This record gives sequence, structure tokens and C-alpha cells, in this order.
Amino acid sequence: MVSASPPPLLEMRGISKQYPGVKALDDVGLTLERGEVLALMGENGAGKSTLMKVLAGAVRPDAGAIFLDGTEQQVTSPVDARGCGIAVIHQEFNLVPALSVRENIFLGLEQTTAGFVRRGDERRRAEELLRRIGVAVHPETPCRRLTVAQQQAVEIAKALAVDARIIVMDEPTATLTPQEVEKLFAVIADLTQQGIGVIYVSHRLDEIEEIADRVQVLRDGQVVAVRAADQLPRRELIELMVGRSLEEEFPSRRQSVGEPRLVVRGLCRGDKVRNVSFEVRRGEIVALAGLVGAGRTEVVRLIFGADQAEAGHVALDGQVLSIRSPRDAIRAGICLLTEDRKHQGLILSQSVLHNFALPNAAHFVAAGRGFTGWGFTGWIDQQRERDAFAGYATSMRIRANAAAHPAGTLSGGNQQKVVLAKWLESNSEVLIFDEPTRGIDVGAKVEIYGLMNELAEQGKAIVMVSSELPEVLGMADRILVMHEGRITGEIADPAAATQADILSLAIR
Amino acid sequence: MRLVSWAAVTLLAMCLCGCGAKNEQTGNGPESGGASSKAGAPTAAKGTIGVSVLTMTNPFFKTIADTITAEAVTHGYETTITSGEFDVAKQQNQVKDFIVAGCSAIVLCPCDSRSIGPAIAEANAAGIPVFTADIACLAEGVDVVSHVASDNLGGGRLAAEAMIEAMGEAGGEVVVLDFKQAESCLLRVQGFKEVLDAHNADHPEQVVEIVAELPGDGKKDQGFKCTEDALQAHANLAGIFAINDPSALGARAALEKAGKADEIVIVGFDGQIDGKQAIKEGKIYADPVQFPERIAAMTVDSIVRYFAGDEVATEQLIPCELYRQADGEADPSLQ
Amino acid sequence: MNADTPAALMPRLRHMGATVLADHGMLLVLGLLCVFFSIVTLDEQTPVGGDAAGQLVRRLSQIGDEPKQLVIVAGRGSDEDAFVSALAEGAATAGWSVAGISQGGPRDARMSLEAFAATDRRVEVIALSASAGAWGVFDGLESRLPAFADATLLRPEPTRWPNFLKATNLLNVANQIAVIAIVAVGMTLVILTGGIDLSVGSLIALSSVTGAVCIRDVCGGQAAGTAGMVVGAAVGILICGLAGVLSGGVVTLFGIPPFIATLGMMLVASGSAYIIAEGQSINQVPDAFVWLGRGADLAGLPNAVVLMLVLYAAAHIVMSRTTFGRYVYAVGGNAEAARLSGVPVRRVMLAVYVLCGLLAGLGGIVMASQLKSGAPTYGQMYELYVIAAVVVGGTSLSGGEGRVLGTLVGALIIAVIQNGMNLTGVESYTQKVVLGLVILAAVLLDRLRSRRG
Repeated sequence: MVSASPPPLLEMRGISKQYPGVKALDDVGLTLERGEVLALMGENGAGKSTLMKVLAGAVRPDAGAIFLDGTEQQVTSPVDARGCGIAVIHQEFNLVPALSVRENIFLGLEQTTAGFVRRGDERRRAEELLRRIGVAVHPETPCRRLTVAQQQAVEIAKALAVDARIIVMDEPTATLTPQEVEKLFAVIADLTQQGIGVIYVSHRLDEIEEIADRVQVLRDGQVVAVRAADQLPRRELIELMVGRSLEEEFPSRRQSVGEPRLVVRGLCRGDKVRNVSFEVRRGEIVALAGLVGAGRTEVVRLIFGADQAEAGHVALDGQVLSIRSPRDAIRAGICLLTEDRKHQGLILSQSVLHNFALPNAAHFVAAGRGFTGWGFTGWIDQQRERDAFAGYATSMRIRANAAAHPAGTLSGGNQQKVVLAKWLESNSEVLIFDEPTRGIDVGAKVEIYGLMNELAEQGKAIVMVSSELPEVLGMADRILVMHEGRITGEIADPAAATQADILSLAIR
Repeated sequence: MRLVSWAAVTLLAMCLCGCGAKNEQTGNGPESGGASSKAGAPTAAKGTIGVSVLTMTNPFFKTIADTITAEAVTHGYETTITSGEFDVAKQQNQVKDFIVAGCSAIVLCPCDSRSIGPAIAEANAAGIPVFTADIACLAEGVDVVSHVASDNLGGGRLAAEAMIEAMGEAGGEVVVLDFKQAESCLLRVQGFKEVLDAHNADHPEQVVEIVAELPGDGKKDQGFKCTEDALQAHANLAGIFAINDPSALGARAALEKAGKADEIVIVGFDGQIDGKQAIKEGKIYADPVQFPERIAAMTVDSIVRYFAGDEVATEQLIPCELYRQADGEADPSLQ
Repeated sequence: MNADTPAALMPRLRHMGATVLADHGMLLVLGLLCVFFSIVTLDEQTPVGGDAAGQLVRRLSQIGDEPKQLVIVAGRGSDEDAFVSALAEGAATAGWSVAGISQGGPRDARMSLEAFAATDRRVEVIALSASAGAWGVFDGLESRLPAFADATLLRPEPTRWPNFLKATNLLNVANQIAVIAIVAVGMTLVILTGGIDLSVGSLIALSSVTGAVCIRDVCGGQAAGTAGMVVGAAVGILICGLAGVLSGGVVTLFGIPPFIATLGMMLVASGSAYIIAEGQSINQVPDAFVWLGRGADLAGLPNAVVLMLVLYAAAHIVMSRTTFGRYVYAVGGNAEAARLSGVPVRRVMLAVYVLCGLLAGLGGIVMASQLKSGAPTYGQMYELYVIAAVVVGGTSLSGGEGRVLGTLVGALIIAVIQNGMNLTGVESYTQKVVLGLVILAAVLLDRLRSRRG
């Protein structure tokens, strides 16, 4: 059969990849046309990243072939991929912080004469590329001084510098503010105008609706659907990804808010936190909303003792607490689920069980043995430890047999549940969630929301910091909006509010 | 990553083959002791002599080790040569290994005159005779069959005579670069001082005065540093006595750097080849020379006599001889 | 999907192979080294003591039944004593009469033989112990002393057995590594927290010197009793603990990188050792001071080795079963996450440096006991061997991963290589090269493991 239409820009056929014990990709195909945005969706572990690694030449598939403009290409190394015009922008950027924007853009492709870099040429070229994607950054700025959005723009410029025709973006908006996201979408639209094909990997369903032309859904290493974006309603998309039907994205909850439990008065630290006061009642979920950098994370770190407050105090159930370290906060019943699980929440190289037991040493110490003077309390009763974790694993549906594995091998959702289990074991009464669902796939998100609601119903006080406005609106009983270190507004009835209401308070 | 693991294993295998092969080449390992009973071997092996010298980086001890091996072969013994490299704990381990390997006799140049005691005690307990060369063992309660060394005290006296001779009528200030950890070097300085004191008493008009004793440690770099410091502290310095050639050469380098090579005389000790060369070229005034070959030969001779049941003196001193520029010019071994 | 087909099994087997190699690779390497050195040190072993006597008695009884006479010649030492008494008894039972026994050096043997020849008594056999058998005294004996012209010289026949595998040598290996292995326990803890302690070599010297000086000047010198020696040892160890407090304090309170902080402490400790000892070695200690380093009270195991094994057992339990052990791993795995989980990070780090200092001090006392003196030259370069033992044992230099028992294996690997090369007569420069290559190979294995994880 001869086809009249020209061959697609990219076609991957029959890609399979077997890892020990897991079939990561099973006969997966993918096509990408010129000027198209293809959204690649799926839960963590569905095979998206493996597929993109195959495309980038970082992983060699067991079977399958890659065609560009209808001709087969051998993409067996990242250098091959670059030669074919394939560029991948990872969630964690590949920039050298100490080098300038220009140096990063041309890293590995330095324009040289007899070994000397032609800085002038490079600078002109860099300026042109940056102008093309509409970013106002001086090419000689060191990358460590750039904002996340600017760093991302540099990554895009890097891709354009090698004349990439296919750009893969992995979770590009995870750490961007709403305005920055809008700007990124404009850049993407501009790229597609120029005939570049974009593969867009994201968990954020709103974005998919906004920019994708087509959606391809992966589940368990297989393609479960390829559709035009406007023919795939949100709910169906979620069900395709999760593989079962979901009742509600944000579970509803019986409203029963009691007396104030956590009272924060006049917290200050530098210009990041200025005179912040609020309270959280029994059974209440209070959201701290605002732009990235508004001081939300800084506030909760002060409450938890991770940083030292310059002024102000925190009280729990009417008792003023003296918190100088996380140790003090934990003892008082306050815990923090950090936004950065990988670097602050968990010790990835160590077993889930050890992570779980870390703040709870006192619970598992065999009675009457060991010394307590320095807080290195004695012998651990390992059986008690395992039993306690098993209880949480069952009730929270943490992956079976997880206890002995390094925490780093778990999916984001399971990691978050382990962190939660760790804090529940330490009898926390105030739970602070900083970006509770960042990097967590849709199915697990719903479970985390459910757990948060359950905890609120048990009478705990919950503080939630989130940049995802639908999450804030869907989960919170009350929303506090921050701007430049101050609380600038309160939304008492989130059910009646809109994203625009929050943004207007956040931007001012 | 399997590649990496195989690379690691291969690397290890290569190391092991390397030391196996090395052993075959040198053929002085104790396990080859049995091989010499083969037909055609000129003399039946009587056993292995385990040798641990102070360091192989000093030609003096290398000469001792090499000569012991050469002499031992003529008497039908194999040798195992090791070096403590100034680490007495390491030397103790080497002695333990000699005992396990069943050496017939052990020759030591102790890294520490006192701390070597326990190692010698173990050899005593195993019934293996111990000989010391150049450096004596001062530990109590241990049994060393014989100590063979240069007459360091006499050598120190010779050094003082050379210094007085070089200074002439004026006398002057002298710095000593010593190495207090080694008994032999203490003796050299002691002999040096004896003669100077006698001289100063007899000739108050041309006093040769020791103004400082600095730790040259018998090493070139340390000798260099100490001399530089001495030049800062003593503007009228006229002479340097270094307890061996490396530190003397280090001192010479410091003098040349400071542009004072012509004003200050150096007397060294040892008579190693580069020391002798320096004497011939006038860089060092004179050396009391030691004869490591004679020390080594005497040591092996003592071992043979011991096993033959002959009387062996507990201390055997080999006299030093003074070596001046004229001797250097007549020396065929120099360029 | 059928997991039982050979094709599906292969990758799993390979995966298992890689796992075993990564988790127990070093044990495997240790085993291979032992096998290798057993083969290359295969040698003729002349039996000593009772074994040699037994063999000679058997051969005596083959010579004939009628009563005959023999002379026994042996050297000094406990083995020789055992030989003489066992042979005298065995010969008597076999119907031989012992005409004379000479124990001592070759000269003693020669004099007794000459004295014997001067009498008119004659013997059929001269029985020699293993060491006496090698003496030159008996070469051409018949020409020098015709009285012995008809006598048979009886020496123990050698058997073949690896020098490496002799019990005395294996104990040697353990004893030689005891100091490094003891210090390596503390170093393992420090490295597990992601730090390093370069001062341990100098602390060995400092502890040996302060311990010895304390015994000499305060506790009565060579007349010091057990209590005095214990006090001296405790002072040496505690001084090093204090050094650990200082380096740990600098690291935790001021955030100075451990490399620099302990580099400074290395110079301070070494200089202090020279000052306290006035550059000399100090040997005015009682004879009983060698009990720790050279005694062997428990089933023939040297006390230093017993101490080493006890410390490893204790450290293993502490690291796997106590909160402190967990905290050490947590701090090394991710200090910030540990802090946010309520771990007293600073206290853990401080404790680790103090423990490392105390253990280095203990190592110094063991070394002083082995050498029956303290000297500021002890322990030079030991920090590097200690770190090598830890790394070869599989502990990651970036912290958080590794096992105390792995360090013991690492220390044994280093000891076996050094001992094996000494036994095969490899000279010291080549030894350095080989040791360096082994350390590189170990780091390669470490790399392999971290890639897998």
C-alpha cells in the first residue's frame, strides 16, 4: 500500500523493553507529526519515561525501531539522538550552575577557531535564540542566578541550538508559577509554528486540555489509547490512566470543625516571613496559597523548627511551645511532610522500614534497656517495628513487601504514604503537608486526598501548602493567601471561590 | 555493569599473577629453598636468611642487602630481602613472617633501636638467631648473636678532625644535622663532640663551636630545610657536619641556593657514590666513609661461623676511613 | 508469561550473580586470595616439637630392636624443649638409651659433641631437631670427629604444606592487622556519616606515647602494676577521645569539612606526640605490658585478635540493633532528611568522631603493647590503610552505605595480601603497587554496586 500523505516526523514502532521482573514496554508505538503537541500520559511506572529514554538513546530497547521522516535511524546513544534532532528537557535540568547561559547553551558544541571559543559569535547566536523564545536573560548571566522558568528557557534554547526538530518536555510545569506556565505555552505554540514536534509529558490534566493536539495514554507498558485531545474528557482520561473508574477527584467530607488547636502568632524571619498569624481548628484543613516564593514553605518550616524564627510563637491546644529544632516540634506533635521528598523527606538509600522508624525510636526501644541521656535510646525491637509498619501498610495500601526495600525504589505516591505513616506513628496532632501531591500520579493523588480527609475527621489539624489551585480549592476548608511573606487574604468558603479569586489575592 | 565487575576481577587476577611472576624472577623466596636440592645445584641450600633493612631508598642499606645476598649464595644460603621503611611495626611483621617461613637466621637493621625488642624476642623464642647490621638493638632482655657496624664513634672523631682541618686557624661556628632516632648517628655526633671539646680545650684561640643541632633526619629534603633555617639564624656559620650523605647533599643545595657555598664547609658521613662524587667536585670537604660491603660480608661470615659452632663476638666494629678530595680524584669508580 | 523457561531464567540468574558479587564480592575476593597464596606458598615444612619427635621415634624403631644409644641435639625455644622431652621419652620406650642431650646454639652443640667424643662412649644415632638440622656444625663431622664416623644423622623429614596456611601464620595475619582493624571500626562509623578522619594515624602515635609516658613517669615505670598500666592505657585512649571531641566539634559546630578539620588534628596530634616523647621512643614499661599485644589467653588466640573480634561483634550489634546505629546511617544517607525526622544530627556526628578517636587511641595502646614501647613514629600512613580497609570492605565514601563486618573483611584482605607477598618474597615497592591496584579494584566494585542501586 502506498500512502499519499508524507511520512510522519517521528515514528516509533514495536518498542519493547524488559527489566528484571518487569516488562517496562510491550510493543509500544508512537507517531508525532510536524508542528504537533503530543501529550504522553500515564501513571508513574506506566512506561513513559522508559519510552522517552529509548527515544533519547539513553536506553536500548530489546525490540523495535525508530523512523524519522520515514527512514529508520539507529539511536543508540544520546549523541545519536542529538544528531537526529531529538532534544529532551528533563524535569531536573542539565545545566552547569557556575557557567553562564551562553556557555550552557553551547556546552559540547563550542564555536571555536583553533581551539579558542568565538565568544562574540556565540553571544550573538545565544541572544537570537533567547529572543526567539521570548526570554529576557543576558547570555552572560551565570545559570545559578536564574529562576526555574529561566533555566527551563535556557534548556529550550539549548535544544534549538542543535536545530532540534523533536523536543521532549518531561513535567515542564512542575515548578513553575501560573504566569510562567502561560509563557511556556506561548513558547511551545511558537515552536510548533516552526514545524517542531513536541512530546509533552505531564500529570496536570488542565494543561493537557489547553495545549495538546493529541493524547497518548500508556498503562503498564502498553498503549491504551491515542485520541485527539478534544475528544477525551478529563474523567475518561483519568480512568484510562488508572485502569479503573474513579468516583471523585477530591473526595467530599463531613464538615465538623472544632476548637482552635494550632495557633501561630507573629512569626517573623527576614523578609521571607513577616508577622504571620493564623490558627487551625480541630478537624480543619487550612491551605496556604500563593506564588512560588511568597513565603509559604518558609512559614511551615518555622512552625516545624527546621529554621529559627526571629519573633513570634506557636501554641498547640492552648500551650505555647518552645521549638528550637524539628526534634522539639516532633515531640510536641507537629510534623512536616516536605515538598522535596527526595532530599528532605526520605533517606532514599535506606529501607522503608528504617525511614519509618527514624523519628519513632522511642516507640520501638525494648523497655528498660539502653541509656537515654543523649537521645540515642538503646536497643531496637525489630519485630515491634515491623508489626507497626505492617499496620500502616495495610490501612494506607502501601505496596506489599515495601518495608525491606530502599525508599528510593518506591513510586512518589508510595513514598508520600511512607512519610505520612512515619509521622502518624509519632503521634502527630498537627500535620503540615507541603505540596502533598507533587510528582504523584493521579490514582495515588486521590488516595492521599482521602487520607488527608480521614485525618481531619479524626480531629487532627492540617496545614496544606500547594501551588495547584484546583487542589487548594478542592481540599481546603479555609484558604490563606500569602504574598511577599505576609498573609494578604483569606477565603473562608473555598467551595464558592474560583482560581481567579486566589490569584487576585496572590498577585495584588 | 557486568563488564565492570569482570574488569575488577581481572585487575585483581593480574595483580596476583604479577606478584607470582615477580617471585619466580627473583627466586629468592623461601619457598624456592626446596628447589635448590635439585640435581646439578652447586651447593645444597642450608636455609634462608631473612633480611629487613631500614630502607631501600638509601644506597647504603641497598648495598648491605645486595652484598648479603651475594655473600650468602657463596655459602649456600638463600635470602629474603625486605625493608621496614622506617616503620618498626612493619618490620616486626616482616620478622614474624620470617619466623613463619622458617628462616634459618635473621639480619636486621632496626627501624627503632628499642621498639624492635619484641620482634627479636619472638625470633629468640622460635630459636632463630638474630644478627643486627649497622644499627644496634638497645632493647633489654633479648638475644642478638652479633652486631656488625661501622665504628661510628671513631667515624665521628674522624669527622671532627676533618672539620678542624678545614676550618684552619680561624675556627668558627658549626651546625650539626643529626638524626636522634638512630643510635649510630648519636654515636657519630658523640665522637664528633669529643674531639672538638678536646681541640677547643687545647686551642682556645681557634675554637670550633657547635651553635646548633638540628634534625636533618638523614634525608635530603629535611637537610635542605634545616640548613636554610640555620643560615637565617647564624650569619657567621662556617661549617656543617651532617650525619650522612643525603643530609649533607641537602645542606649543600641550601648553601648553593643562598650563595654561600664557598664560605661554609660541609663534612658528611657514609661515602656513598654521590657523596664521594661531591667530595671529588669539592662540594663536600670530606667524609668518614663506611664500608657497607664489609659490614654485610662480616655479617654473613658471622652467620656461617655461628652455625659452624664457632665463637662469634657480640659486637664487631668496622673502622671508618677519611675520604678527601684527593681520594676522590684517585677513585676509578667516579666520573 | 512463563517464568520457568530457560530464556526467562537467564536474566534472573545473571541478576542474582551480580547481586552476590556486589554484596559478598569482597568475601569472595578474600577467599580467592587465600587459595592463591596457599598454592604459591606450598613448601617443604620440617616438623617441629612433638611431631618431629614422633617421626624420629618411628624411624628409630625401624633401625633395629637391639638396644642402642643416641645423642639428641636441639636449639632453644619452646618447640625445641617439647622436641627434646618427647624424643627422650619416645626413644626410651622404643628401647634406646639417651647418651646425651645438647640444647643451645650451634656452639653449644659443637662443644658437647667434642666433649662426648673425648669419652670412649659411642652412639649409633645423632638425632637433630628441625633447626639444628640446618646447622653447619654437622657438615663433615666424621672427618673432624672420627668418634662419630659410624653415627647416623637423623633429621626430621619435611612434608609439603603451604606456609600461608600454617596456624601460626594465620594467627600472624590476624595479629598484624589487629591495630588497623580496631581503628577501622571507628573510621567506618565516621565514613558512614559521610565524613573522614585523617588524624587516626597520628592519634595512634599520640596514644602510644602518652600511655607509655604516663606509665613511666606516674605509674612507676618498669615496676608498674596492672592498675598502673590500665591507668596509662586509659590516659592514652582518653587523650585521643579528647582529640575526637575537638575535631568532631569543629566539624559540627563550624561546618568545617571533615577532611580539613582532621587534617589539622593529624598535624596537632603528631606534633604533640613528638613533644611529649621528646622525639624518642619510650620503653620504660613493665614486661607485663605486652600482655595485650602478644599474649594469647583464649584458646591460643592472641589477645589483640580477641579484642578486635569483640569490638567488631559489639560494633555490628550497635550498628544494626540500636537507635544510635540507625542514626549514623541516617545522617550519612541524608543529613537534612535525618534532621527533619528529628535525628540529633550534630550529636551523632560528634559521637562518631569521639568514638573514632577513642578507638584510634586503643589501637595505639595495642601497638605500644605489641612493640613494648611508645614512639611518635608509630602509625605513619596508617590512616590511609585504615581508610583503604573501610573502602575495600564496601563502605561508600559518600556515606550511608556499608557494614562494619565488611570493614573486617577489607582489613583481612589487606593483611592477607601483605602477608602473602612477604611470604613469597615480593619486595616492598611491588607490594605497594599491588596493594594500590587492589584498592582500585575494590572501588570499582563499589561503583558497580552503586550503579545497580
